Order: sequence, then C-alpha cells, then structure tokens
Amino acid sequence: MSSLLQMLKPKTKSQTTTMFAWALIAPAALVMFWIVLWPLYETFRLSFTNSNLGTLMGGADFVGWENYEKAIGGRKFPAIVTRTFYWMFLSVGFKMILGLIGATLLASNIRGRGIMRALVMPPWIVPIAIGCFGWVWLYNGHFGLLSNFIEMVGITDGPFSFLAYKQSAFYSAVVTDVWIGTPMVTLFFLAAMQGVPKDLYEAAYVDGASRWYRFRRITLPQIMPTIVSMALLSAIWTFNSFEIIWILTEGGPRGATTTLIIDTFKTAIFSYKFGAGATRAVLVVLILGVFSVIYLTVLGRLTKKYNYGGVQK
Amino acid sequence: MKNIQKALFLAVMGAGLMAPVQAEEVHMIMCGGEIREADQVVISAFEAKYSGVTVNAEAVPWGTCQDKSMTLAAAGDPVGLAYIGSRTLKQLARSGLILPVSIGDDQQAMYQPGVLNTVTDGGQTWGFPHAFSTKALFINCGLVEEAGMACVAPKTWTGMYAMAKAINDNTSAAGIGVTGKDFDNTMHQFLNYLYSNGGSVNDAATGEITFNSPETIETLEFYGKLAGVAQEGPMGYERGQLTQLYNDGQIGMYINGPWGAGQHNDNIAEIVVPIPAGPSGSSGTLLITDSIAVFKGSANEDLAMELAMMLSSGEAQYDLDKSWGLTPIMQYEKMMDDVYYTTDYWQTFVAPIGSGGPEPMFEDFKALQAGINGAIQGMILGEGSAADLVAEAAEILAEGN
Repeated sequence: MSSLLQMLKPKTKSQTTTMFAWALIAPAALVMFWIVLWPLYETFRLSFTNSNLGTLMGGADFVGWENYEKAIGGRKFPAIVTRTFYWMFLSVGFKMILGLIGATLLASNIRGRGIMRALVMPPWIVPIAIGCFGWVWLYNGHFGLLSNFIEMVGITDGPFSFLAYKQSAFYSAVVTDVWIGTPMVTLFFLAAMQGVPKDLYEAAYVDGASRWYRFRRITLPQIMPTIVSMALLSAIWTFNSFEIIWILTEGGPRGATTTLIIDTFKTAIFSYKFGAGATRAVLVVLILGVFSVIYLTVLGRLTKKYNYGGVQK
Repeated sequence: MKNIQKALFLAVMGAGLMAPVQAEEVHMIMCGGEIREADQVVISAFEAKYSGVTVNAEAVPWGTCQDKSMTLAAAGDPVGLAYIGSRTLKQLARSGLILPVSIGDDQQAMYQPGVLNTVTDGGQTWGFPHAFSTKALFINCGLVEEAGMACVAPKTWTGMYAMAKAINDNTSAAGIGVTGKDFDNTMHQFLNYLYSNGGSVNDAATGEITFNSPETIETLEFYGKLAGVAQEGPMGYERGQLTQLYNDGQIGMYINGPWGAGQHNDNIAEIVVPIPAGPSGSSGTLLITDSIAVFKGSANEDLAMELAMMLSSGEAQYDLDKSWGLTPIMQYEKMMDDVYYTTDYWQTFVAPIGSGGPEPMFEDFKALQAGINGAIQGMILGEGSAADLVAEAAEILAEGN
C-alpha cells in the first residue's frame, strides 16, 4: 500500500498539476462513463443478440452478424436511409437559410428589434410535444386551420388532411421540424454577427461596398465557423429527430416518414425486438460517424479557404 | 457520542417496530385512463378483505398502457396485474412474463361463445376476460333521407355502398367513415368486414396463416371502394375521430361498439344495424376482449391473482358491463332474470356473437397490426393490387406468428 502511494506521489510540479486536473475531471469522467460509454457498449453487445421481450434480463442468444444482415439486407432499408438523408438535408438547409435571413434582419437597426428578437423564441421555448400537437391540429383535414385556409383561397375544393398522404405528410413534418429548429439557428447566427468587428463594415462602406457585397465578403466569412458548426450540429439533431415525426405521423402513412431513428424505435421498443433495434442504433452511430468525418473534412477545406475569422482572400 | 448512540438505537428500534405494519402493495395498471367505478368497488372490497394490503391502481391511456406494462415486465420490475388487450397475451405468455390463470368450470360455462378463445394459447388460459365488445353499423337517418333514400338497414355490401354513395353524392357529408390511420382500430374495422365475408386471419387450432385468401382480397377491394365515398384522407383517422365526424354530421355511417349510442349527439336520428354481409359470407363481427393478466415475479403474485379473480367474477363483472355499456361478456340471463341487454339495440350487438371471429392472438401482436394496416393503407393509396397487398401482409403475419 505504501509503495503504491509512493508511486502515485507526484515528483515534479508539473505532475502535481496533471494529477490535480485528473482529480477534478474524475467525477465527471465517471458519470460520462456511466451514462455514455456503458450504454454504448451495451447497445453494441445487444446488437449481436436476439434479445426480445422475454430475454431482456438475460437468456438472449448470440447471433453474430444476423441482425446486421437482416437490417441492411431488408427491402425497406435503402429507402429508409435515403429518406433520412433527404429529410436531414432538406430540413437543415431550410433552417440554415431561414436562420441566416432571420439573424440578418434581427441584427439590422430596425424599430422594434427587441420585440422581434423575443418573438423568434417561442417555437424553441415551447415544449416540442406541445408544439407538435398544435401542428397536428393545424394539419387536420376537417377542422384544421391550414386546410380551411387553402380551401378558402381556392387551392383545394374541399378539406385536405396533410398527414394522410405520403408526400404531404413528409413535407408537413419537414415544415414542423424547420419551425422548431430555426429559432436556435437564428440566435446562434445573430450572436456570431454581433461579434463581427464594426470597423470592417466601416472600412468597406468608405470604400463604397454595397450592402450585399459587405454581407457576402465580411459577414458570411466572419460567421462561417458558426455556420459550419451549427450545420453539423443541426444535421445530427435532425438526423436523430424523433418526437416531431412520431407525434405527427408515427412514421406513416405507409412508412412515408419513417427515418432511421423511427425505424429503430419501432423495432426496439414498439415491437420489443431489442437486439434488432440495437443493431439499427449502431448503424445510426456508424452512418453519422462517417457523415461527420466527411463533413469535418469539408469543413477543414472551408476553414483554409475562409481563413477562419479573417476576411476572404 | 452518547447522543449519537441514542439516536442510532432509536432508529433501529423504530425500524423494527415499523416493519410489521408496513403495508403490502399490489400494483395494478388499468388501461383506458381511468379506474372505473365498478372496478373501484371491487378494489375497495379487496382492501377491506386483506387488511394492510393496498392496491396501487394506476390508470394509463390505451396509447401507452400496454407498452408500459410489457416494458416494466421485460425490465424485471413487473406490476402485479394489468388490464390489457387480450391480443398481447400470447406474446407475454411465450416470453414467460405472465402466469397462467385458472377459471372455474362454472365460470367458464358462463362466458359468451368465443370469449375464452381470445385468452387461450397452447391449451392454457392467460388472462381473466374483463371487457367484451362486438360491433355494428351506425347510420345517420337524417343524411340518408336527405340523400333521397329510405333509412333501412342494408343487408349486403352492395346495399351499404349504394347508401354511402348516395349520401356522398347528394349531401355535403361523406358517405361513410373509414379508418386508415396506423392504429389498432383500423385493423379492427377491417376485420369486421373480413368476418362478414367468410374470411379469417389464421387457423385458431394450428396457427397457420389463412389471411391470403380470395375472401380477404375481396374484402380489401371493398375497403378501398368504401374509401372512395368516405371522408377525405382516411389515413388521418382512427375510430374515435370518426365519432367526432359522425356527431358533426360529416359522415353518414360508421362502425362502432355498443357504447356508440352514448357518445352520439341526441339530435341525430340513427339506426344501428348488423354489419352487412359480403358476397362470400354472412353478417359477422369482430369479437374483442380485454383481460386482466397476472404478471410473473411481482412481489405479491397470489394477492394479484386473487384481485384479478374478484374483478372478473360474476356480479362485479355484470356491474362493469352494465355501467359501461359493454357487450355482455357472460350469459347473465342464466344468473338473473332482469338483464340490461334485452332491447333491440342491444340485440344488434348480442345476436352476432355466435357468428363473430376473434381478434387473433399473435406472438408478435404488433406485426398483426402492421401487416393488416399496411395492406389497408396500400389499398387506399392505390399502391398495388389487393392480391399483392394481401400477399405482402400475409408474409408479415407469418413472421409475427
């Protein structure tokens, strides 16, 4: 015991500092291990078993790659993956564009700017479930506001249930996701815009640069790090977005809004096939991992091009 | 130090004295979102009988209730007993999560025909049947007459479709309410038609899937045809929402259980008729039961079993059926002279019991719903022929059987 203590005893000031740092992060590291690494390991282990309702607490058999073969080889899998990426790109794209427009407007010196900034918040502040139930009512065919509106202006000649058809259900889910996700993007962009040095704009203004030119050559490059970081985070969140789709459509009609995360839930929790569900969860992690690597590579190139925080050369 | 010792001594003594009087608890989940008065009476009687035992009756809405009961059991923390859909029993039984129950011969003889089939698997009974329903067609006569037809019961699908089309074409309402949402009662609506056309889902004795048959194809085609004269967007609707449309005068007819009359507006002049017969069968209905299952491994299995028996026995069961307007689960006329279901209205729901078909029991009961609802939605969307969709559904059913 004493020899162990002797070994652990720091010999230099640098070692003391290092050990102190480790001691400080140890509690957090233990919690992280408990709530992140262990579940991740368990999910990975479960994915190679036939765990189901009767064998969750023990007794599941090891089935090797069978779950993976079934999941990837399933006839619906390619369509689900394609749909998930389409959902992600569409939704994130709109969030980025609307967020950028919103942030630009909110950053400008207009009357009532404070109120407008406050008005941006509700979709983000309201609990997602409550917001989604509101949208379910809006999309309803017989007493929904949207259906009545499009009928009133003559787009349809009768009620239209937005969530009852494959295409309209999918795009309705995208609209709701964008509605919920845009405020946060807007606020992040706004914060980044406010950090852009004013003298850059003043110098450009003196040189006769137009508004559009200043936005394109100063604002965009300056906030680019925020844009790329936000886009990556938003992509991951949207890829894994569950509650919005589940509350609106439960993945239907006929699978039209079933993304990978919905498929994972349906398999693991809805059908009690925990092993097969864990397989899908692992696949989600792998797909997102690959996507992130590709994205970060692109990000690295953008960083070089825009010189991170500097003006475009 | 002395004070600490005193405190520890008192704590130990206190714990020792408290232990014998600590109440035993039976945890019960009640699907449906409320504890019904007739059940509460039994629970109170049970607590009075077993002094020191309390019943923690937790009411959970149907949408999440069964999943909650099953997930708790799978996670090793089962409730004592749960009132759930009988369709879940096979999966629970084969997963070793519930206990077989014993129903006395006298009580078995009292059940309506077909009821015990809905809780039996592998020769054993897995739940006490506690609620029973059959279905009929509710028709808004005001709309039928506005459409220029006499409000008389259609006997066949042809007559039913003609009536629905007349309402659809000649009034502002849709002819019929059709469900298509991915919900259990979408499958239930379809099975009512299937059983009225001589079809079946599986062979009760062998478990063999019999869904892929000409009768099912015919039924699916008819369901798709009905969708053409139904409310806009059937895939956005489950039965509860159809009740709202019916009350608003937006659909001319729809299928519902005996509780329907109590849910409908008084100003609707309606008739309630047996489900019309398909070309290959005779009028039938789906027989659905909900049961009380006793979970394996709870702290008080014996007490849970006793409570389940009390809740589902003779008079307590009668009170529940009567107060809730359910199809009588037992042949109470053998027990008493004055029963609540002698009126013509009730006979519409009682008479078809003998010719009804059960809600099938599947090892993966979600596959049953997914398979049948997938075929229905495919038909409504026009994503294939009825034959292809039925064949696809039959494959899913075979996997889940």
